[in-house]
Amino acid sequence: MSQTLRSAAAYVLPPALTLIAAFAFWEFWVQWRDIAIIVVPPPSAVWERFVEDPEFFWREGGWTLYEATLGLLMGSAFAIALAVVMAHSRLAERALFPLAIVIKVTPIVAVAPVLVILFGFGTTPKIVVAALLSFFPMLVNAMTGFRDVNPGALEFMRSLRASPWQLFWKLRAPSALPYLFAALKVTYPLALIGAVVAEWFTGDRGLGLVIFVANSNLDTPTLFAAIGVLALTGVSLNVILSVAERRILFWHQTTRTVQ
Amino acid sequence: MLRPIARPLLAALLPLLLAALLVACKSDSGGSRTPTPAASAAPPDKVTFMAGFKPQANLPFVGAYVAKEKGFFAEQNLDVEIQHVNTPGDNFKFLGLGQVQFSTADAATVIERAGDDPPLGIVAVALIGQRGQQGFAVLADSGIETPVDWAGKRAGYKGSQPTPDFLAILNAVGVDPEDVGTVKVGFEPQILTEGQVDIFPVFLSNEPDTLSQLGYDVTVFEAAEFGAPTLGLTYVTTRDYLAQNPDIVLRFLKAALRGIEYARDNPDEAVDIVLQYAPQEDRDHMRFMLDTELGAAENDLTDENGIGWMTAEQWQELHDYLVEFGGIPAPLDDVSATYDDQFIQQAYKDGEMDWP
Amino acid sequence: MAGAEHHVSLRGLTHVFRDGRRALPVDRQALTALADVTLDVAWGQFVSVIGPSGCGKSTLLRIVGGLLRPTSGEAKIDGAAPAAAQRRRDIGLVAQDPALLPWRSVLGNVRLPLEIDRAARDRPAPSPEELLELTGLAEFRSYYPHQLSGGMQQRVAIARALAFDPSLLLMDEPFGALDEISRASMRYELLRIWQTAPSGRKTVMFVTHSIPEAIALSDRVVVLSPRPGSVRAAIDVELPRPRTQEMERGAPFLDYADQLRNLLKEVPA
Repeated sequence: MSQTLRSAAAYVLPPALTLIAAFAFWEFWVQWRDIAIIVVPPPSAVWERFVEDPEFFWREGGWTLYEATLGLLMGSAFAIALAVVMAHSRLAERALFPLAIVIKVTPIVAVAPVLVILFGFGTTPKIVVAALLSFFPMLVNAMTGFRDVNPGALEFMRSLRASPWQLFWKLRAPSALPYLFAALKVTYPLALIGAVVAEWFTGDRGLGLVIFVANSNLDTPTLFAAIGVLALTGVSLNVILSVAERRILFWHQTTRTVQ
Repeated sequence: MLRPIARPLLAALLPLLLAALLVACKSDSGGSRTPTPAASAAPPDKVTFMAGFKPQANLPFVGAYVAKEKGFFAEQNLDVEIQHVNTPGDNFKFLGLGQVQFSTADAATVIERAGDDPPLGIVAVALIGQRGQQGFAVLADSGIETPVDWAGKRAGYKGSQPTPDFLAILNAVGVDPEDVGTVKVGFEPQILTEGQVDIFPVFLSNEPDTLSQLGYDVTVFEAAEFGAPTLGLTYVTTRDYLAQNPDIVLRFLKAALRGIEYARDNPDEAVDIVLQYAPQEDRDHMRFMLDTELGAAENDLTDENGIGWMTAEQWQELHDYLVEFGGIPAPLDDVSATYDDQFIQQAYKDGEMDWP
Repeated sequence: MAGAEHHVSLRGLTHVFRDGRRALPVDRQALTALADVTLDVAWGQFVSVIGPSGCGKSTLLRIVGGLLRPTSGEAKIDGAAPAAAQRRRDIGLVAQDPALLPWRSVLGNVRLPLEIDRAARDRPAPSPEELLELTGLAEFRSYYPHQLSGGMQQRVAIARALAFDPSLLLMDEPFGALDEISRASMRYELLRIWQTAPSGRKTVMFVTHSIPEAIALSDRVVVLSPRPGSVRAAIDVELPRPRTQEMERGAPFLDYADQLRNLLKEVPA
């Protein structure tokens, strides 16, 4: 038991201590340089604001997370489905990949009002934005993953006259999993940011709106508290994904520590 | 043991599931139905009002909030959905596409938009702000007492160039614009408090109070004080909608104006209602905004005729002023196309609201 | 089952590699992997194919296994094209890379061929569990490839190759990636498996570039010349079975080793 505690401590303490040191420095710096609170608030003011009404931040954060998660699922689903098609047909890949790039480079700023016009007010346009941002990284990683199969395994299965269907389920799909997890770690934060930005432009709920209103009122403690909650959410997601990855990808070299 | 292979299958099915979810989520954007003659027996007409900014105590917004919460819209057999935009100007896209029927706009913006090619057809139906909403703030301890002192200082501007109000003030006090340094700024008043600029454009009902609450006292200069014929916020709709649904426009306007009257007479309650729509805002600040805008909404003209009253002279003067100081590139062919005062005329009888 | 006189029969086998979509270079010599290979392998015989790097040993095996069609010449398994034997699942393949599926356990990997080809289940064949017993992996059935040494992984690959009880085993430098000690013990492990496999002696074609390995394992060692590969010589290894590690120090063994070394050293005509 104490071994698990010790290893947990070894995992958590270094970043925790670094953060504490950073916050201490920030607090000191703001006081020493006499920085106006409406420019940068000291961490103590941010904490005070947060503690005043933590429920508010968690609730709004919950909306943003909900939008980001749904968007991520949607974007990933489309990306994976498309990757399956493109992995089996070079023609499809040549035809569809340019479209994928168009999606990638479209700026949210331009797209957000259009999405509201198409999908109405409420959470849907934010979900779509999160989906749009998730799409491309997941697509590229899925495509690479489906292709990056062990050539020996591929030849072995081909020698047994395995059908393309069998090849996909038994070989390509599991081979792609490490790539998909790697992409998820990058994409989930992207989806979060997408939801926040979408809320900024068309918000009625969520941390993006909190940030927008706080910014317009020069309420920097609320602004930073909201950012802090976002950061915490992002970190937690990363931890959860890493844990899940270690369990599901136990067989993959990336999840094993060097012996 | 989890089978990793089931996951791609689920993932492939998900697009279908989520597409279904999206269809279900698509909210009704609130188009109108043709009103039937027997108003009381007919179901209420559904319209959408889109405020031109985030939820707060701008007077036209307040009128709509109060009208909804106190049932004035219902009394006019209207079912009004209230929406907001965070980026000013986005509301015109929704208006233009017919996704919303009513919105708010600064009077000068209405004139500017009339010069679009092709024009969106935005028409003002009531003038809530009888004076312009913009001003210029300087720190109280900056030593700047009058705009004469602007010479040699640095002024910020938010748009693509200094506004007519800015140039008009300088013109009124005899300062050459070349003598005042101008720089494009964002919306952050920190730019003023940190000394990046000496003169900063603000909304009279907003930043001065926010800054003063934070301990920064400011002095504010208004173009109207220097003779500029500025006008403030209006209720707007589109030419097409107005032509097809004049009855609904009148009923909407009457309810909203009654909402403003109610807010004037019950400001505390009005602020409570505003906070329902804007829970993150500060009560005192909302009260300040309301009071300031109420002050700008009433003058001799409205005392005599009713809040929201507007005259052809007011619009013509504003138009000419904008032409003179570069607010629009060329005069409009027909200024009267930017507003329609028939509704305001029908809403009031002898200076009193004709209710219901 | 034994129809033809020889199990595997190669006549004038030539293979020239064309490089994808690019045009052939002027010098065809560089891409000719095999030139006129003629060879017979008897039923139940253990034959090693040995030669310098690049002499086409792997290409040869792939043609026999039905994975590659030769440019010219003939390869027959039991009198018919390799594709027929492949369809009957009568060929087992083991390559240098065991290519196990890392997300499957040892048992899962051995079961893979049966999952792919359910029809072949109807033929009498050892169960996956029996194969694990045969290859000495019974207690490792729940282990995953990353937990096994290279030698163990190859054992799994061998068990997997035996899934349909093929009568022909093709092995392409299966111990090439192992360290010297593991190599040495694995060859006798292979012999044990070969000898104790229930349904009679399988024919084995075994590619290697290790002389001691070839001698210890085989009844016959075929020496290929450098590229383009053709049969330089074939030596019958008349050491008694079962072979043991001690034999490797004996004179006969060392004689064969000398012979093979000289054959490999000779400059081609």
